[in-house]
Amino acid sequence: MNDDQLLSVFAKADEIHVDENKKTQAINTAIAEFSSAAEQKKTLNLFQGIVARLRPIFSQQVNDGRKDMKRENRKFVFGGVAGAAVSTFAWLVFVGNPDQVVTVEGDVNPAAQGQEIAATPKQSPVKFEDDTLRPENSDSISTLSDPSGSSENNSPPHEEADMGTQVELATEVEVAAELETAVDVSVDKVASSAPKQAESSALPSSMATTMAKSRLPAADRAPGANFRHAPTSREASAQVVPIPLPKPIDTLPANGYSEEGRDQFESLAENDVKLATEHPVSTFSVDVDTASYSFVRSALSRGVLPQKNAVRIEEMVNYFDYDYPLPGSRFQPFKPTVAVVDSPWAKEKKLIHIGIKGYDLAENTRRKVNIIFLLDVSGSMKAADKLPLVKQSLSMLLNVLKPSDRVGIVVYAGAAGAVLEPTPVSEKQKIIDAMNRLQAGGSTAGGEGIKLAYQLAEANFDKAAVNRIILATDGDFNVGIRNREELKGFIERKREKGIFLSVLGFGRGNYNDHLMQSLAQNGNGMAAYIDTLGEAQKVLVNEATSTLFPIAKDVKLQFEFNPATVVEYRLIGYETRRLQREDFNNDKVDAGDIGAGHTVTAIYEITPRGSSQRLVDDRRYDSKAPVVGRDDEYGFLKIRYKLPEADKSQLITHTVGVENQQNKLSTALQREINFASAVAGFAQLLKTSKYVGDWSYDKAIELAQSNKGADEFGYRTEFVQLIRKAKVAEAM
Amino acid sequence: MNDTALIKAAQKGDANAFERLLEQYYDSIFRFAMKWSGNRHDAEDIAQQVCLKLAQSLAKFRFEAQFSSWLYRIVINTAKDFHSREQRTATACVATPPAVDTGAEEAVILLHQILNKADSWGEGFKESLLLVHGEGLSHAEAAKILQVKESTISWRLHQVRKKLAAWQSANRCGD
Repeated sequence: MNDDQLLSVFAKADEIHVDENKKTQAINTAIAEFSSAAEQKKTLNLFQGIVARLRPIFSQQVNDGRKDMKRENRKFVFGGVAGAAVSTFAWLVFVGNPDQVVTVEGDVNPAAQGQEIAATPKQSPVKFEDDTLRPENSDSISTLSDPSGSSENNSPPHEEADMGTQVELATEVEVAAELETAVDVSVDKVASSAPKQAESSALPSSMATTMAKSRLPAADRAPGANFRHAPTSREASAQVVPIPLPKPIDTLPANGYSEEGRDQFESLAENDVKLATEHPVSTFSVDVDTASYSFVRSALSRGVLPQKNAVRIEEMVNYFDYDYPLPGSRFQPFKPTVAVVDSPWAKEKKLIHIGIKGYDLAENTRRKVNIIFLLDVSGSMKAADKLPLVKQSLSMLLNVLKPSDRVGIVVYAGAAGAVLEPTPVSEKQKIIDAMNRLQAGGSTAGGEGIKLAYQLAEANFDKAAVNRIILATDGDFNVGIRNREELKGFIERKREKGIFLSVLGFGRGNYNDHLMQSLAQNGNGMAAYIDTLGEAQKVLVNEATSTLFPIAKDVKLQFEFNPATVVEYRLIGYETRRLQREDFNNDKVDAGDIGAGHTVTAIYEITPRGSSQRLVDDRRYDSKAPVVGRDDEYGFLKIRYKLPEADKSQLITHTVGVENQQNKLSTALQREINFASAVAGFAQLLKTSKYVGDWSYDKAIELAQSNKGADEFGYRTEFVQLIRKAKVAEAM
Repeated sequence: MNDTALIKAAQKGDANAFERLLEQYYDSIFRFAMKWSGNRHDAEDIAQQVCLKLAQSLAKFRFEAQFSSWLYRIVINTAKDFHSREQRTATACVATPPAVDTGAEEAVILLHQILNKADSWGEGFKESLLLVHGEGLSHAEAAKILQVKESTISWRLHQVRKKLAAWQSANRCGD
């Protein structure tokens, strides 16, 4: 085969046509990735500049203090070795020619030697050199240069060199003192090299001149370099000085281990279809958590489908803020909006949407906040999406707090300690400084940390304020209270005293979702998973009032279906929130809370009587007569809640008629409901639910895309991208 | 907007610019991948992965080399990774050079065979052949992309030409 043939083959091959569908698909995937990469980049850039430089996190920062220190250390050691080598060489030369300068040595050097050894690290090196050494040295130089009869111009360089070495030595002492590491070794080295250095000044002047010349550049450079670096290392060491904890926190090596694939999720079967004749009543607690959505997003951004157990449908649906009608006053804190629409994924089935919008507190009526941040600083928190993100998130939260609010910080790793006593937000810098000093390392004694945080919160308990502990962790409690039931019991008892606990989950690889959920549920708080700074912004800034201020607690829903009109029903999601029928009226049973402005959506899928799509057939030997009466209602909704300080619950009821509201709702409400359906449908697809039939990601994209609405913060657009990513991830 | 401006805009986070950049380069990425892998399915996968990589690393492009060279390097690395992972076996065997009227698909299959053969003769032969004969680059340009000396490329091509002739005359297939 010759070149021409080869070229013609190539040319032919170039005529191959490009599949436009594949092209569009590839480009869309890349753009989705591009947007998320851009978002991450923004996150990274936010704290760059001087702050990033000072941040005491070792990994991923080129200009960190640790490297400076290492460099200083290395320079110091190498300098010492080199100095020792030169002096030893000089000593050998001197021994080889003993008759030349023996007498001079005795006169001058003991003094210089003594001075140098006496130079303790605390003395100012420059002063010491000026006051004491120069006269001595100039003496020695004059004595030295005479016997050998060398010309005058030899002495200035000699003097300079000697001074240079002194300065270098002195700065080395200073650096060594500042570093606080290897102090013993370095002082020894300085001490041992000092006499040799001094002896070297007793050399034949020709030799001394050569040496002086050869040492000159080094000597010139050394003081400058050292002085320039000295403040840096001082700053660095100030940053890294351990925070005043009861017990110091041990640190891991810089390249700490990273966990993979150890995320733990509780496995719960999807709610199944129930017969209205057999189980007419369905009871559950509300759930305002959003952790699942963020976790799913973080998995899909990496191009993999999330674990099925990580997908909690209600949390995905409730991630979004829906524009339901608002209640009137804080004494009726929320209002249910119920709508019956056709199910997008199943023929002849309907969805009953129950939307609840919490009353939003006006800025000036909100109460004071007393927050204790309980931060996990164990070794596993070292990654960039953990402790650094925690710090950034909390700084963002500080910006929305009022000056009179108080913030305290408790950390835990191998040991627990209070880093910051509750401090008013007006002293923001103090809080930020305390936070910036934190660094990750050690094992995780979460239980101990929680106890300490509660102690602190109790000591500063303010009846008029919202007392809340915000726990930020990757959820791995491997030391301390091992018994989770004990931990939950502890949190429950504290909740009764009025201290609530919210949980912010960070990082992946080692995330213990189950524990986080149960802690937050027992502590009357919400659990959110923060994977990006954008998510921190959403949870801690945009929704700060919902996160911090409960408007109703123990909110339970009970829906009674009318067997005359409904054959089967299925609650979509809320698997972790199921309650017993008798729990509904029992005020002792804990349930979810709703914060100011929170929206909660619950969706039932029902099969109306007469539908051909029923899954369960009628029984042949059913003794009961078919139910009659009230066939204009699908069911009856009851909601129980307590006001934040109340112990007695209150009841709201709502009758759901059979009228199909598909095209009769206001456009805004219709849009919100359709979007919620899209999210619920997508979540079911991710869970590979058996009830969605042949509904697909494309349909979900279509439904979500056409119901995005105003989408002020872009969350809904992001959701559409997420479905695209899921589509790609599934194809792989 | 020319390429440089597009790239700069995309590096600043402009998704539209990035999209236009991809629109512009996707075809050549795909064609190169097609020649490399010899089948449409793999080529589409490779092209998509290249697009993804671009999304992740476009910000790292520093204009030190030509964008196309940088892109070639990404495509080659992606294709290499792809095939070392997939361990694809060779496709059907076409022994003779295509006549003028044979389709592009067949040319691709033959080409794939030739390239595989070249690959078996030594490290970097396939890449060199593709870049110089397939993409019409000069030896110097190919050398830059593959990060070797220009003379290495020339030597490789000489070897390939020599061996191809011998192989073709022996007309063996598939070994």
